[in-house]
Amino acid sequence: MMKKLARVISPLLIACLVLGSLPVAAAAPNASSDGLVSTQDALSADQVQADRKRIDEVLSRQDVQEQLLAQGVDPAEVEARVDALSDQEVRDMADRLDDMPAGASVVGALFAVFVILLVTDILGLTDVFPFTR
Amino acid sequence: MSRPQRLSTNARPAGVLLLVLTLTILGGCAGSPTIQSPDRLGIPEQLKLDDVPFHGQRDYQCGPASLAMVLNASGVDADVDSLIPQVFLPEREGSVQPEMLATLRRYERVPFVIDGNFNALLREIANGHPVIVMQNLSLPAWPVWHYAVAIGYDLNARELILHSGMDAETRTSFATFDNTWARSERWAVVALPPGELPDSIGRHRALNAIADFQRATDPQTALPAWRTLAERWPELAMGWFGLGNAEHATGNPEAAADAFRQATEQDAGLAVAWLNLGLSLEALGDIDRARDALNQAAALPSKWRERARTALDELSSE
Repeated sequence: MMKKLARVISPLLIACLVLGSLPVAAAAPNASSDGLVSTQDALSADQVQADRKRIDEVLSRQDVQEQLLAQGVDPAEVEARVDALSDQEVRDMADRLDDMPAGASVVGALFAVFVILLVTDILGLTDVFPFTR
Repeated sequence: MSRPQRLSTNARPAGVLLLVLTLTILGGCAGSPTIQSPDRLGIPEQLKLDDVPFHGQRDYQCGPASLAMVLNASGVDADVDSLIPQVFLPEREGSVQPEMLATLRRYERVPFVIDGNFNALLREIANGHPVIVMQNLSLPAWPVWHYAVAIGYDLNARELILHSGMDAETRTSFATFDNTWARSERWAVVALPPGELPDSIGRHRALNAIADFQRATDPQTALPAWRTLAERWPELAMGWFGLGNAEHATGNPEAAADAFRQATEQDAGLAVAWLNLGLSLEALGDIDRARDALNQAAALPSKWRERARTALDELSSE
Protein backbone atom coordinates (compact mmCIF):
# COMPACT_ATOMS: atom_id res chain seq x y z
CA MET A 1 0.00 0.00 0.00
CA MET A 2 2.70 2.45 1.06
CA LYS A 3 4.88 1.40 -1.87
CA LYS A 4 2.07 2.06 -4.31
CA LEU A 5 1.44 5.42 -2.78
CA ALA A 6 5.12 6.28 -2.97
CA ARG A 7 5.24 5.24 -6.61
CA VAL A 8 2.48 7.70 -7.42
CA ILE A 9 3.69 10.52 -5.24
CA SER A 10 7.40 10.40 -6.04
CA PRO A 11 7.19 11.45 -9.72
CA LEU A 12 4.72 14.17 -8.79
CA LEU A 13 7.02 15.43 -6.08
CA ILE A 14 10.01 15.44 -8.42
CA ALA A 15 8.02 17.33 -11.06
CA CYS A 16 6.88 19.89 -8.50
CA LEU A 17 10.39 20.46 -7.20
CA VAL A 18 11.83 20.85 -10.71
CA LEU A 19 9.09 23.24 -11.77
CA GLY A 20 9.39 25.09 -8.49
CA SER A 21 13.08 25.71 -9.05
CA LEU A 22 12.72 26.92 -12.66
CA PRO A 23 11.14 30.33 -12.04
CA VAL A 24 13.96 31.11 -9.60
CA ALA A 25 16.49 30.66 -12.39
CA ALA A 26 14.40 32.65 -14.82
CA ALA A 27 13.72 35.50 -12.43
CA ALA A 28 17.27 35.86 -11.17
CA PRO A 29 18.06 39.43 -10.12
CA ASN A 30 18.79 41.38 -13.25
CA ALA A 31 18.13 44.87 -14.45
CA SER A 32 15.86 47.22 -12.55
CA SER A 33 12.68 48.76 -13.94
CA ASP A 34 14.13 50.83 -16.81
CA GLY A 35 16.63 48.23 -17.95
CA LEU A 36 19.52 49.76 -16.02
CA VAL A 37 22.55 47.54 -15.50
CA SER A 38 22.79 46.46 -11.87
CA THR A 39 25.87 47.16 -9.79
CA GLN A 40 26.43 43.42 -9.27
CA ASP A 41 26.42 42.80 -13.02
CA ALA A 42 28.72 45.74 -13.68
CA LEU A 43 31.16 44.47 -11.08
CA SER A 44 31.43 41.00 -12.60
CA ALA A 45 34.05 40.54 -15.27
CA ASP A 46 32.23 39.86 -18.52
CA GLN A 47 28.66 39.30 -19.58
CA VAL A 48 28.72 35.70 -20.83
CA GLN A 49 30.54 34.79 -17.67
CA ALA A 50 28.06 36.82 -15.64
CA ASP A 51 25.10 34.90 -17.09
CA ARG A 52 26.75 31.57 -16.44
CA LYS A 53 27.68 32.70 -12.97
CA ARG A 54 24.08 33.63 -12.27
CA ILE A 55 22.88 30.14 -13.17
CA ASP A 56 25.71 28.62 -11.13
CA GLU A 57 24.76 30.84 -8.29
CA VAL A 58 21.13 29.76 -8.23
CA LEU A 59 22.32 26.16 -8.18
CA SER A 60 24.98 26.94 -5.58
CA ARG A 61 22.44 28.61 -3.33
CA GLN A 62 20.27 25.48 -3.47
CA ASP A 63 23.34 23.37 -2.87
CA VAL A 64 24.34 25.39 0.18
CA GLN A 65 20.78 25.25 1.51
CA GLU A 66 20.93 21.45 1.31
CA GLN A 67 24.34 21.38 2.97
CA LEU A 68 23.11 23.56 5.83
CA LEU A 69 20.11 21.27 6.32
CA ALA A 70 22.52 18.33 6.46
CA GLN A 71 24.51 20.20 9.11
CA GLY A 72 21.43 20.29 11.30
CA VAL A 73 20.26 23.84 10.67
CA ASP A 74 16.57 24.54 11.35
CA PRO A 75 14.73 24.31 7.96
CA ALA A 76 12.85 27.51 8.79
CA GLU A 77 16.16 29.39 8.97
CA VAL A 78 17.98 27.91 5.97
CA GLU A 79 16.63 30.19 3.25
CA ALA A 80 17.22 33.43 5.13
CA ARG A 81 20.75 32.32 6.01
CA VAL A 82 21.66 31.60 2.41
CA ASP A 83 19.99 34.81 1.20
CA ALA A 84 22.29 36.92 3.34
CA LEU A 85 25.43 35.48 1.72
CA SER A 86 27.17 37.29 -1.13
CA ASP A 87 27.65 35.54 -4.49
CA GLN A 88 31.30 34.85 -3.76
CA GLU A 89 30.53 33.51 -0.28
CA VAL A 90 27.88 31.16 -1.69
CA ARG A 91 30.37 29.83 -4.23
CA ASP A 92 33.00 29.34 -1.51
CA MET A 93 30.55 27.52 0.73
CA ALA A 94 29.24 25.33 -2.09
CA ASP A 95 32.81 24.37 -2.97
CA ARG A 96 34.38 23.79 0.41
CA LEU A 97 32.08 24.07 3.39
CA ASP A 98 33.53 20.90 4.87
CA ASP A 99 37.06 22.33 4.83
CA MET A 100 36.11 25.69 6.29
CA PRO A 101 37.29 26.43 9.79
CA ALA A 102 34.34 26.65 12.16
CA GLY A 103 35.00 28.79 15.19
CA ALA A 104 34.08 26.67 18.17
CA SER A 105 36.75 26.13 20.83
CA VAL A 106 36.59 22.36 21.14
CA VAL A 107 39.29 21.31 23.54
CA GLY A 108 37.90 17.85 24.29
CA ALA A 109 39.89 15.78 21.79
CA LEU A 110 43.12 17.55 22.55
CA PHE A 111 44.28 15.75 25.66
CA ALA A 112 46.29 13.35 23.53
CA VAL A 113 48.57 16.22 22.61
CA PHE A 114 48.29 17.95 25.95
CA VAL A 115 52.03 18.08 26.63
CA ILE A 116 53.02 19.51 23.28
CA LEU A 117 50.34 22.18 23.47
CA LEU A 118 51.33 22.95 27.04
CA VAL A 119 54.87 23.68 25.87
CA THR A 120 53.75 25.69 22.86
CA ASP A 121 51.33 27.59 25.09
CA ILE A 122 54.14 28.53 27.44
CA LEU A 123 56.18 29.63 24.43
CA GLY A 124 53.28 31.82 23.33
CA LEU A 125 52.82 29.95 20.08
CA THR A 126 49.36 28.76 21.05
CA ASP A 127 46.69 29.89 23.50
CA VAL A 128 44.75 26.73 24.34
CA PHE A 129 44.95 26.59 28.12
CA PRO A 130 43.97 29.74 29.99
CA PHE A 131 46.09 28.79 33.05
CA THR A 132 49.35 29.27 31.12
CA ARG A 133 48.76 33.01 30.77
CA MET B 1 66.36 -8.96 24.82
CA SER B 2 69.06 -6.77 23.47
CA ARG B 3 67.06 -5.43 20.54
CA PRO B 4 64.29 -3.60 22.44
CA GLN B 5 66.91 -2.20 24.79
CA ARG B 6 68.90 -0.73 21.93
CA LEU B 7 65.75 0.68 20.47
CA SER B 8 64.83 2.45 23.67
CA THR B 9 68.31 3.86 24.21
CA ASN B 10 68.21 5.32 20.71
CA ALA B 11 64.63 6.50 20.96
CA ARG B 12 65.22 8.96 23.77
CA PRO B 13 67.85 11.15 22.07
CA ALA B 14 65.88 10.87 18.84
CA GLY B 15 62.75 12.09 20.60
CA VAL B 16 64.59 14.98 22.19
CA LEU B 17 66.09 15.89 18.83
CA LEU B 18 62.65 15.80 17.21
CA LEU B 19 61.15 17.99 19.89
CA VAL B 20 64.01 20.50 19.65
CA LEU B 21 63.71 20.56 15.85
CA THR B 22 59.96 20.98 15.98
CA LEU B 23 60.18 23.83 18.45
CA THR B 24 62.92 25.52 16.44
CA ILE B 25 60.82 25.36 13.29
CA LEU B 26 57.76 26.58 15.16
CA GLY B 27 59.80 29.23 16.87
CA GLY B 28 60.91 30.40 13.46
CA CYS B 29 57.42 31.56 12.61
CA ALA B 30 56.95 33.13 16.00
CA GLY B 31 58.04 36.65 16.56
CA SER B 32 56.69 39.92 17.73
CA PRO B 33 54.42 41.57 15.17
CA THR B 34 55.67 44.81 13.68
CA ILE B 35 53.60 47.80 14.63
CA GLN B 36 54.11 51.35 13.46
CA SER B 37 54.74 53.93 16.13
CA PRO B 38 51.56 55.29 17.74
CA ASP B 39 52.43 58.76 16.44
CA ARG B 40 52.55 57.59 12.86
CA LEU B 41 49.37 55.57 13.28
CA GLY B 42 47.73 58.48 15.04
CA ILE B 43 46.40 56.36 17.91
CA PRO B 44 46.65 56.65 21.68
CA GLU B 45 49.16 54.43 23.51
CA GLN B 46 46.48 52.52 25.33
CA LEU B 47 42.77 52.25 25.01
CA LYS B 48 39.80 50.11 25.99
CA LEU B 49 36.30 50.35 24.52
CA ASP B 50 33.99 50.40 27.53
CA ASP B 51 30.71 50.22 25.63
CA VAL B 52 31.13 46.67 24.32
CA PRO B 53 28.96 44.38 26.48
CA PHE B 54 30.35 40.92 27.22
CA HIS B 55 28.46 37.73 26.38
CA GLY B 56 30.11 34.58 27.69
CA GLN B 57 29.97 31.70 25.26
CA ARG B 58 28.06 28.55 26.06
CA ASP B 59 29.31 25.25 24.65
CA TYR B 60 30.82 25.97 21.25
CA GLN B 61 29.02 29.19 20.59
CA CYS B 62 31.80 31.75 20.41
CA GLY B 63 30.48 32.83 16.97
CA PRO B 64 27.00 33.91 18.09
CA ALA B 65 28.47 35.40 21.30
CA SER B 66 30.98 37.51 19.32
CA LEU B 67 28.25 38.69 16.96
CA ALA B 68 26.01 39.68 19.89
CA MET B 69 28.83 41.76 21.40
CA VAL B 70 29.59 43.80 18.27
CA LEU B 71 25.92 44.18 17.34
CA ASN B 72 25.04 45.43 20.83
CA ALA B 73 27.98 47.83 20.73
CA SER B 74 26.61 49.13 17.43
CA GLY B 75 23.19 49.76 18.98
CA VAL B 76 21.45 46.64 17.66
CA ASP B 77 19.25 44.73 20.08
CA ALA B 78 20.34 41.13 19.44
CA ASP B 79 20.86 38.34 21.94
CA VAL B 80 22.89 35.15 21.74
CA ASP B 81 19.81 32.92 21.85
CA SER B 82 18.28 34.42 18.72
CA LEU B 83 21.67 34.47 16.93
CA ILE B 84 22.43 30.78 17.48
CA PRO B 85 19.87 29.44 14.95
CA GLN B 86 21.02 32.10 12.48
CA VAL B 87 24.72 31.30 12.40
CA PHE B 88 25.53 28.08 14.27
CA LEU B 89 26.09 24.78 12.44
CA PRO B 90 24.98 22.07 14.90
CA GLU B 91 26.81 19.19 13.20
CA ARG B 92 30.05 21.14 12.96
CA GLU B 93 29.59 22.56 16.47
CA GLY B 94 30.78 25.89 15.18
CA SER B 95 30.19 28.80 12.83
CA VAL B 96 31.92 29.50 9.48
CA GLN B 97 33.26 32.88 8.37
CA PRO B 98 30.87 33.60 5.45
CA GLU B 99 27.89 33.04 7.71
CA MET B 100 29.35 35.36 10.34
CA LEU B 101 29.36 38.12 7.69
CA ALA B 102 25.91 37.15 6.39
CA THR B 103 24.39 37.34 9.88
CA LEU B 104 25.72 40.86 10.38
CA ARG B 105 23.99 41.86 7.13
CA ARG B 106 20.71 40.45 8.42
CA TYR B 107 20.94 42.93 11.29
CA GLU B 108 21.54 45.77 8.81
CA ARG B 109 25.19 46.17 9.64
CA VAL B 110 27.78 46.28 6.86
CA PRO B 111 30.55 43.74 7.53
CA PHE B 112 33.96 44.96 6.40
CA VAL B 113 36.81 42.44 6.40
CA ILE B 114 39.75 44.70 7.25
CA ASP B 115 43.38 44.23 6.25
CA GLY B 116 44.97 41.41 8.22
CA ASN B 117 47.66 43.28 10.13
CA PHE B 118 48.17 44.85 13.53
CA ASN B 119 48.15 48.41 12.23
CA ALA B 120 44.64 48.05 10.77
CA LEU B 121 43.41 46.16 13.86
CA LEU B 122 44.66 48.81 16.31
CA ARG B 123 43.43 51.69 14.17
CA GLU B 124 39.91 50.27 14.10
CA ILE B 125 39.86 49.80 17.87
CA ALA B 126 41.16 53.34 18.31
CA ASN B 127 38.29 54.54 16.11
CA GLY B 128 35.82 52.97 18.51
CA HIS B 129 35.08 49.85 16.47
CA PRO B 130 35.27 46.50 18.27
CA VAL B 131 36.80 43.93 15.90
CA ILE B 132 35.73 40.28 15.52
CA VAL B 133 38.88 38.20 15.04
CA MET B 134 39.28 34.55 14.18
CA GLN B 135 42.04 32.57 15.84
CA ASN B 136 43.31 29.04 15.86
CA LEU B 137 44.29 28.76 19.51
CA SER B 138 46.09 25.48 18.91
CA LEU B 139 48.49 24.16 16.26
CA PRO B 140 47.43 23.61 12.64
CA ALA B 141 47.45 19.81 13.15
CA TRP B 142 44.87 19.97 15.96
CA PRO B 143 42.99 23.20 15.30
CA VAL B 144 40.92 24.96 17.92
CA TRP B 145 39.14 27.62 15.88
CA HIS B 146 37.81 30.47 17.88
CA TYR B 147 36.11 33.86 17.46
CA ALA B 148 36.80 36.67 19.89
CA VAL B 149 36.20 40.42 20.00
CA ALA B 150 39.18 42.77 20.27
CA ILE B 151 38.15 45.75 22.39
CA GLY B 152 41.41 47.39 23.44
CA TYR B 153 45.19 47.37 23.57
CA ASP B 154 48.17 48.60 25.53
CA LEU B 155 51.16 49.48 23.36
CA ASN B 156 53.52 49.78 26.34
CA ALA B 157 52.69 46.37 27.75
CA ARG B 158 52.30 45.04 24.19
CA GLU B 159 48.97 43.45 25.07
CA LEU B 160 45.66 43.12 23.29
CA ILE B 161 42.42 43.20 25.30
CA LEU B 162 39.75 40.74 24.19
CA HIS B 163 36.27 39.57 25.11
CA SER B 164 36.96 35.90 24.52
CA GLY B 165 35.16 32.68 25.43
CA MET B 166 34.21 32.86 29.08
CA ASP B 167 36.56 35.73 29.83
CA ALA B 168 35.68 39.39 29.69
CA GLU B 169 38.54 41.82 29.07
CA THR B 170 41.21 39.18 28.99
CA ARG B 171 44.74 40.33 28.11
CA THR B 172 46.96 38.50 25.65
CA SER B 173 50.44 39.50 24.53
CA PHE B 174 50.68 40.83 20.99
CA ALA B 175 53.09 38.01 20.10
CA THR B 176 50.85 35.18 21.33
CA PHE B 177 47.77 36.73 19.80
CA ASP B 178 49.54 37.18 16.48
CA ASN B 179 50.61 33.52 16.46
CA THR B 180 47.03 32.36 16.93
CA TRP B 181 45.59 35.03 14.62
CA ALA B 182 48.03 34.31 11.77
CA ARG B 183 46.58 30.79 11.47
CA SER B 184 43.26 32.26 10.24
CA GLU B 185 45.24 34.41 7.78
CA ARG B 186 44.53 37.23 10.20
CA TRP B 187 40.79 37.39 9.60
CA ALA B 188 39.24 40.48 11.19
CA VAL B 189 35.84 42.11 10.73
CA VAL B 190 34.19 45.33 11.81
CA ALA B 191 30.42 45.78 11.52
CA LEU B 192 29.21 49.31 10.90
CA PRO B 193 25.83 50.93 10.25
CA PRO B 194 25.31 51.84 6.56
CA GLY B 195 26.87 55.26 6.09
CA GLU B 196 30.03 54.57 8.12
CA LEU B 197 33.30 53.27 6.74
CA PRO B 198 36.28 51.77 8.55
CA ASP B 199 39.27 54.06 8.64
CA SER B 200 41.69 51.39 7.49
CA ILE B 201 39.72 49.97 4.57
CA GLY B 202 40.77 50.21 0.91
CA ARG B 203 38.37 51.56 -1.69
CA HIS B 204 37.78 48.32 -3.59
CA ARG B 205 37.15 46.27 -0.49
CA ALA B 206 34.70 48.94 0.67
CA LEU B 207 32.95 48.93 -2.72
CA ASN B 208 32.52 45.17 -2.72
CA ALA B 209 31.40 45.08 0.92
CA ILE B 210 28.65 47.60 0.16
CA ALA B 211 27.58 45.84 -3.07
CA ASP B 212 27.31 42.56 -1.12
CA PHE B 213 25.39 44.33 1.64
CA GLN B 214 22.89 45.75 -0.85
CA ARG B 215 22.42 42.34 -2.41
CA ALA B 216 21.47 40.88 0.96
CA THR B 217 19.32 43.83 2.07
CA ASP B 218 17.76 46.41 -0.27
CA PRO B 219 18.80 49.64 -2.04
CA GLN B 220 17.01 51.81 0.53
CA THR B 221 19.02 50.33 3.40
CA ALA B 222 22.28 50.51 1.45
CA LEU B 223 21.81 54.05 0.11
CA PRO B 224 23.63 55.86 2.98
CA ALA B 225 26.59 53.52 2.53
CA TRP B 226 26.87 54.40 -1.18
CA ARG B 227 26.66 58.11 -0.36
CA THR B 228 29.50 57.86 2.13
CA LEU B 229 31.58 55.80 -0.29
CA ALA B 230 31.21 58.44 -3.05
CA GLU B 231 32.01 61.18 -0.54
CA ARG B 232 35.17 59.48 0.71
CA TRP B 233 36.51 58.45 -2.72
CA PRO B 234 34.99 60.87 -5.24
CA GLU B 235 37.48 59.62 -7.85
CA LEU B 236 36.09 56.06 -7.63
CA ALA B 237 33.78 55.81 -10.67
CA MET B 238 32.19 52.51 -9.57
CA GLY B 239 31.23 54.13 -6.26
CA TRP B 240 29.16 56.74 -8.12
CA PHE B 241 27.77 54.00 -10.31
CA GLY B 242 26.56 52.02 -7.28
CA LEU B 243 25.10 55.20 -5.78
CA GLY B 244 23.28 55.87 -9.07
CA ASN B 245 21.65 52.46 -9.02
CA ALA B 246 20.64 52.78 -5.38
CA GLU B 247 19.16 56.25 -6.00
CA HIS B 248 17.31 54.95 -9.05
CA ALA B 249 15.90 51.95 -7.21
CA THR B 250 14.63 54.15 -4.38
CA GLY B 251 12.78 56.47 -6.75
CA ASN B 252 15.22 59.39 -7.12
CA PRO B 253 15.77 59.51 -10.89
CA GLU B 254 17.42 62.95 -10.92
CA ALA B 255 19.87 62.00 -8.20
CA ALA B 256 20.54 58.75 -10.07
CA ALA B 257 21.35 60.58 -13.32
CA ASP B 258 23.65 62.96 -11.40
CA ALA B 259 25.52 60.04 -9.88
CA PHE B 260 25.92 58.27 -13.25
CA ARG B 261 27.13 61.58 -14.71
CA GLN B 262 29.75 61.76 -11.94
CA ALA B 263 30.83 58.22 -12.74
CA THR B 264 31.41 59.13 -16.40
CA GLU B 265 33.34 62.24 -15.38
CA GLN B 266 35.64 60.19 -13.17
CA ASP B 267 36.15 57.49 -15.78
CA ALA B 268 35.10 58.46 -19.32
CA GLY B 269 35.89 54.90 -20.44
CA LEU B 270 33.32 53.28 -18.13
CA ALA B 271 30.78 52.26 -20.78
CA VAL B 272 28.31 50.81 -18.31
CA ALA B 273 28.03 54.22 -16.57
CA TRP B 274 27.29 55.94 -19.92
CA LEU B 275 24.68 53.27 -20.60
CA ASN B 276 22.91 53.73 -17.28
CA LEU B 277 23.22 57.52 -17.61
CA GLY B 278 21.54 57.33 -21.02
CA LEU B 279 18.77 55.05 -19.78
CA SER B 280 18.06 57.17 -16.72
CA LEU B 281 18.01 60.39 -18.79
CA GLU B 282 15.64 58.72 -21.21
CA ALA B 283 13.32 57.82 -18.33
CA LEU B 284 13.47 61.49 -17.26
CA GLY B 285 12.42 62.55 -20.76
CA ASP B 286 15.74 64.23 -21.58
CA ILE B 287 16.01 62.55 -24.98
CA ASP B 288 18.86 64.59 -26.49
CA ARG B 289 21.22 64.09 -23.62
CA ALA B 290 20.12 60.47 -23.35
CA ARG B 291 21.14 59.95 -27.00
CA ASP B 292 24.55 61.57 -26.38
CA ALA B 293 25.22 59.28 -23.43
CA LEU B 294 24.08 56.15 -25.27
CA ASN B 295 26.27 57.12 -28.23
CA GLN B 296 29.24 57.24 -25.87
CA ALA B 297 28.33 53.80 -24.50
CA ALA B 298 27.96 52.38 -28.03
CA ALA B 299 31.28 53.85 -29.16
CA LEU B 300 33.31 52.26 -26.35
CA PRO B 301 34.59 48.72 -26.83
CA SER B 302 32.88 46.85 -24.02
CA LYS B 303 30.44 44.08 -23.36
CA TRP B 304 27.68 46.68 -23.01
CA ARG B 305 27.96 47.83 -26.62
CA GLU B 306 25.06 45.70 -27.90
CA ARG B 307 22.76 46.89 -25.18
CA ALA B 308 23.65 50.51 -25.87
CA ARG B 309 22.97 50.06 -29.61
CA THR B 310 19.61 48.43 -28.93
CA ALA B 311 18.68 51.30 -26.61
CA LEU B 312 19.72 53.82 -29.30
CA ASP B 313 17.60 52.07 -31.93
CA GLU B 314 14.61 52.09 -29.60
CA LEU B 315 15.19 55.78 -28.93
CA SER B 316 15.25 56.64 -32.68
CA SER B 317 12.16 54.62 -33.46
CA GLU B 318 10.05 56.42 -30.87
